[in-house]
This record gives sequence, C-alpha cells and structure tokens, in this order.
Amino acid sequence: MRQYIAGVDIGNATTETALGLIEEGQLIKCVSGINATTGIKGTNDNIKGIIKSLKDAAKKMEIEIEEIDLIRINEATPVIGDFAMETITETIITESTLIGHNPDTPGGLGLGIGETIKIEDLDKAEKDKAYIVVVPAEVDFIDAAKMINEALDNDIDIEGAILKKDDGVLVNNRINKVIPILDEVAAIDRVPIGMPCAVEVSQPGSCIEFLSNPYGIATVFGLTASETKQIVHIAKALIGNRSAVVIKTPEGEVKERRIPAGEIIIDSGKRKYTAPVDRGSREIMETVRKAKNIEDVTGTKGTNVGGMLEKVRKEMADLTEQDYNNVFIKDIMAVDTIVPKEVRGNLANEFAMEKAVGIAAMVKTEKLHMQRLADAVSAELGVKVEIGGVEGSMAVRGALTTPGTEKPLLVVDIGAGSTDACLLDRENKSRPVHLAGAGNMVTMLINAELGLDDFKLAEEIKKYPLAKVESLYHIRHEDGTAQFFEEAIDSKMFARTVVLKPTGWKPVRTKQNLEKIRAVRREAKEKVLITNIIRALEKVSRTGNITEFEHVVLVGGSSLDFELGNMVTDALTYYGIISGKANVRETEGPRNAVATGLLLSYLEEAGNGN
Amino acid sequence: MLEIKELGVSQPGTDAKEIIIAVSPAFGTGLKQSITDVPLEEILKELCAGIEEEGMNYRFIKVYNSTDLGIIASQGSKLAGSGICVAMQSRGTTVIHQKDMVPLDNLELFPQSPLIELDMYRTIGKNTAKYGKGENPEPVEILNDYMVPSKFLIKSTLMHFKEGGMANRDMAPIDLEVTF
Repeated sequence: MRQYIAGVDIGNATTETALGLIEEGQLIKCVSGINATTGIKGTNDNIKGIIKSLKDAAKKMEIEIEEIDLIRINEATPVIGDFAMETITETIITESTLIGHNPDTPGGLGLGIGETIKIEDLDKAEKDKAYIVVVPAEVDFIDAAKMINEALDNDIDIEGAILKKDDGVLVNNRINKVIPILDEVAAIDRVPIGMPCAVEVSQPGSCIEFLSNPYGIATVFGLTASETKQIVHIAKALIGNRSAVVIKTPEGEVKERRIPAGEIIIDSGKRKYTAPVDRGSREIMETVRKAKNIEDVTGTKGTNVGGMLEKVRKEMADLTEQDYNNVFIKDIMAVDTIVPKEVRGNLANEFAMEKAVGIAAMVKTEKLHMQRLADAVSAELGVKVEIGGVEGSMAVRGALTTPGTEKPLLVVDIGAGSTDACLLDRENKSRPVHLAGAGNMVTMLINAELGLDDFKLAEEIKKYPLAKVESLYHIRHEDGTAQFFEEAIDSKMFARTVVLKPTGWKPVRTKQNLEKIRAVRREAKEKVLITNIIRALEKVSRTGNITEFEHVVLVGGSSLDFELGNMVTDALTYYGIISGKANVRETEGPRNAVATGLLLSYLEEAGNGN
Repeated sequence: MLEIKELGVSQPGTDAKEIIIAVSPAFGTGLKQSITDVPLEEILKELCAGIEEEGMNYRFIKVYNSTDLGIIASQGSKLAGSGICVAMQSRGTTVIHQKDMVPLDNLELFPQSPLIELDMYRTIGKNTAKYGKGENPEPVEILNDYMVPSKFLIKSTLMHFKEGGMANRDMAPIDLEVTF
C-alpha cells in the first residue's frame, strides 16, 4: 500500500512541510517544503501558507497535493512573549557643576587648575591668580587665541580653557603655551564665573587620571573627608574620559538617584512573592527561582513593567478569544543592562550610562483553535487533516533524526518571544517547558545599549556579522581578516561599519566602533539565550543538577544564527553536555524538526497497529 | 582678503595626514564671492578650521582643465596623501571624494550651494578629515529646496561661464598658496 503522508508545522515565521512516501509501514522517500507563515499562527489566514508549503514539497515528490492521503498539523502550544525596559537610575547635576564632558577633539594637554573667568574680562585679571578662561560662541577661535596670547604676554597665569564651539585644537594651535582646552560645552553661559575649576586633557588613546580619582579632586579643591565622599559620583562619571572639567560651586553636586520602578508580584499558588524591579535582575530571578511554580505574575500599576504584563495578557486573550481574567503569565525573565541617558541638568549634553532592567514575560493558554484550522484546510483541499501531536514532543522526534543523538535528548527552540524546550527521556516521555525571553529581547538589549533607537537595525546587528569597509576594494571582518574585491564597493559604505546581510550590506549609523557593537551583541545573546537554555535544563531536570543531561539540540529558524550554535556548544561543554544545531534527517539542518516529527510519529502509531 | 599665489605643478603628496582642497579655475581670482555673496575666504576659513580641528593637514590645489566638480575632486583626491579631497566650485558647491572612486561618485555631495551655511562648511571640513583618518563620520545633513535651482539658474550659469572662461584644457593641477 502506497501512502503519501505530510507533516505540516505552522510556526510563527515559517510553515514547514515534511512529505513522506510510505510503503508497507516503511518510509521510502521524504522531501521538505517551506513557506512563510501567512497571518497569525492558529488562525484561518494560515491556509494560504500551508498550501504553498505543501505545493513546494509535492513538487519535489512529483505528485499533486490532492494525491496526499493525510495531512498532520501540530498542536501548537500558544505561547507569546513580550518585553519592557525600566531605567532604574538617573544622574542629576544640581547647580552648574560641569562634569564628564568628553568631546571628540579637545585641545592641548595636561591638568589646569584656576578660577573661571570670561575671556572678555581677561584685562581685569589679577597677576597672582591662576585662571581658566571661558569662551562663548561669539568669540572666534582666531580672536580667542589672540586674547589669550595677549594675556599670557601680560604675565596672566592661564591654566586652561573651556570653549562653546568645537575649536579646542584650533585655539591650541595658535597659543604660546600648552594648556588643557575643553570644547563643545553647549550651555557655556551657565558655567559659573569666579569659581575654582579644574580642567584635564590626556593624550589621544589614554584616559584622564587625576579627575577620575576622588582623592585627585579632593587634592585640587582641598576637600575634607566628608566632602570627598560627596564627589565620588563625579569621579565615577569621569572614568574612561579623555578630557574632563570639574567646577566647585557652593551647592553643586552630582547625584545618582534610584527611580522607583514598581514591584513584580509572583503568585506561586501557595503564596505570593514580591521583587522590587529597581533592585536589578538578580533579585527578580532569585525570586522566580524561589517561587518554582508560577501561577501568575502582576506588576505595579502605572509602571512600564505593570503595563507590559497587562499588554501581553490582553494580546493572548484576544488571540485565543478567552476572557482576559483567565489568561495567566507563566514565566518572566529579567536582565540587567546599561543604557545611555542624557544627564539631567547637564551643561554639555553629557550622557551617563544608567542602569536598567529588561523584563520579558510569557503567557501560555490551553489550546489554540487548531481543530478549526484543520477542518478549514480539509475543506479547502479535500484531503484528510488531523492534529498530530504537541509541538515540543514532535520537535524532539524530528531532532532525534540528527546523526549522533540519542535519548534522553533536550531540544531547544528559540523563537522571537519565547524559548521553548522539550525533553524526551529514555521511556519516550516528553516534558515541555516554555520560558520568557528570546530573540526579541536580545534585539531590545542591542537597541538600548547601543542607543540606536532603530529596532530593525538592531535586529540585523543581531543576525549578521559585522565588517569595517577600509577602502573601496577591501573590508576587514570582525574577526580581523581582510577580504579584497575586484569591483569597487558602493561608495556609501566607505569607512563605515557594515552589517553583512546576505542580501546586501547595511551601514550602521552609530559612533560606537565595531568591537563595541560586537561585544554588546554577544553579551546580549549570552545574557538571554544561554541563560535560558540553562534555565530550561534546570526546569526539566528531576535532580536539579543539569549535568545529568547528555544531548542538547537546537532547532528552529533562530538556530540558523551565525554564532549562537558555537556559543551554546561553548557554554554547555562546561557541564559535560554535548550540544549543537540539529541536522534533521541528515539533510535539513535545524529546520523541519516538527514537521518531520509529525510524519515519524504517524509511522510509530501505525507500527503499533493503530 | 583672499590672496592666491600659484606655486607650480602639483605632485602627489606623501603625508598620510594630508587632505587636498581642490578649487575650480576662477576660484579667488575671477570670482571672489559665492553664489550667495559670501566672501570665499570666510568659507575657506571654516572648511580649513574643520580639517585642522580634527588634526589633519591640508594643501590647496587649483584644477584648470575642467569646471566639472567631479573631475576636479577626482584629480584632487589622487594627489592627496590621505587619498581624500574636498573640492569646491567658486559658487560654493562642494564634494568629498576618495581616490579609488570613479569621478562622478562621491563620499558626500552638497549640490545646492545657496543652501550651504557657513557652519555647514565647518562640518564638511571635519567630515573630510575624519574620512582621511579612516573614521566613520555621520554624513552632514543635506538641505533641499526645489525652488533653488530655478531661483539661482541665471546667476549660476553666469558664474559657470566665468569658470569656463578661465579654464585651460592643457594645464595640469597647480599648487596654491592661499592667505586669508
């Protein structure tokens, strides 16, 4: 008896088909089909995509769709995830303490200490005092240099300068004494005059040493021990700068304030646990671990987190046509991050790296309307359609066709909104877990930490490797290798850091260099994806000791990521676990696992005399 | 005051810090003001300040054998030690060019000269220097006004005739000493 059986997996992004020719209970031939999923998973809009995916496979089998005897679709576990970010610290400068300014091209070199004075008042300067000259935008660099030179000739002790315009190097090249010059101070009219001030500029490629040290600042201004304690935040904000200025005003100070960001309340069924968001991700994750079983999660109303949790709940309620009150959040994941934010009360658009917490949530309900979809497909094609089995266990069966794997086996499918894992143990029992935090959260972290404000670009940075276009005929890849080209590269790419998309390169519009972008990208993947794989292992483990596992296999589109497979292998080797991308049916790579599982489970059921 | 002295035929530069500022035939001699009557020395001052602020050096050349900005820039970039040239016509139209590019290609082009403000020339200078250093500058925002071409058509045509009148097909690029 010849039978054509198709397994169809409707994913969030792609609809995949595994079409098999079965004779006498034996799989003779198997082909794959793929198409983008049309509409939201689980709705009748999917039919178009299903048919196209089936056609793709049928063509390879050289049959018509109508000849297929049975189509098996997956029982999708309805899981959606979302994320939010809450900044939990903010830096505030009171009065006009100028700090941390780091222009691209300061002038001069060294440390200068003196009293601030307006450049037009230099003729009234006293001879026994040291001065820092403040130059507004109206004074041209040629005039400024001339005025400073005249004052120097009159034995006025000028120790440094602060400019509004980007003229630091220009003034430095025209004056007769090397002094530190800080430029691009936008709010120069708010710089207090007649106050003690210190300006420091270091060599290109090195950082300031004096003003980034609390005791250095104390030395400059003659501070007491208790006053020194107050300026620690100033010193901290200046670490890593090439230039800086600190002005001592009577009331001025720099504060790092914690923003109240609400609480997360985890209901474990037995009791409720609360975690304050502003204490950072460690405390939240510790609470999640303590709660073990999560029945529902809520957040303080009026905060970003509270809003996000309610949004996810509503989305799921709409999707599954359920009552809003019956939708429960089953997992959350928190990640610490730092985001560039403008300092409040700043004089020169200074940015401080503020602490933030990214939070992802996941909701799960009982069933999507898959039966309805199955009936609709059946009516459309005139072919019998049945629901094959749960997504997770199907994925494991498909993944088991990867050479070199055996039971027990954990498959991990990293989606956009959630990380889904499923364990198949020696007794053929499967245990699925669904975790919050996946691809979209990685994108969010990249977007925030690089200050891109462009989700699409962040997504591309996540997916593809980087390179620097060094000339019109060669690029340098992120690993340092050079690649040469016969044809000239598009001139718009010249000198840019580009994302090497297979469909064409895309320049990254950011001041950050390639190394920084790469580090942020890898760290984000580590923080979310690797952490989640380990969390999944901990959840399915009976002993709580993850070294009991032997095989972890990545499936799904996201495992096509160019570096994730290697990162996972790297991380899990530490626990003695073999891990890597699946190679379904030895040919499909990490794709088609669920569809193949649907087909194979039919064979198993048939073999059992069903 | 803008003073221009011709020094002799330009040779390719060897200093990696060198940016070439290439100008058109009538620049500073036949024409002393841009299309919006801004004295050319003011424009040069900002352009040069931008390059200097970024720590690069510059050398002036005049290209006589063409009035086409692309051709002027192309010749300039091939003479620059850094391979980067900023070229300018007397009316103020400006382009940044790299030596490997075909003449009409560019790194950044500022086509509507009446819209270029003085502080933009400073940024253009800065960006030119940054390309010379192999950095990745944010391109200068280009302003666009569809009325400009028709409004300035006659004046720009007249200025172009003047440039053309002073062009000489057989002359190689000349080094300039420019004081302003």
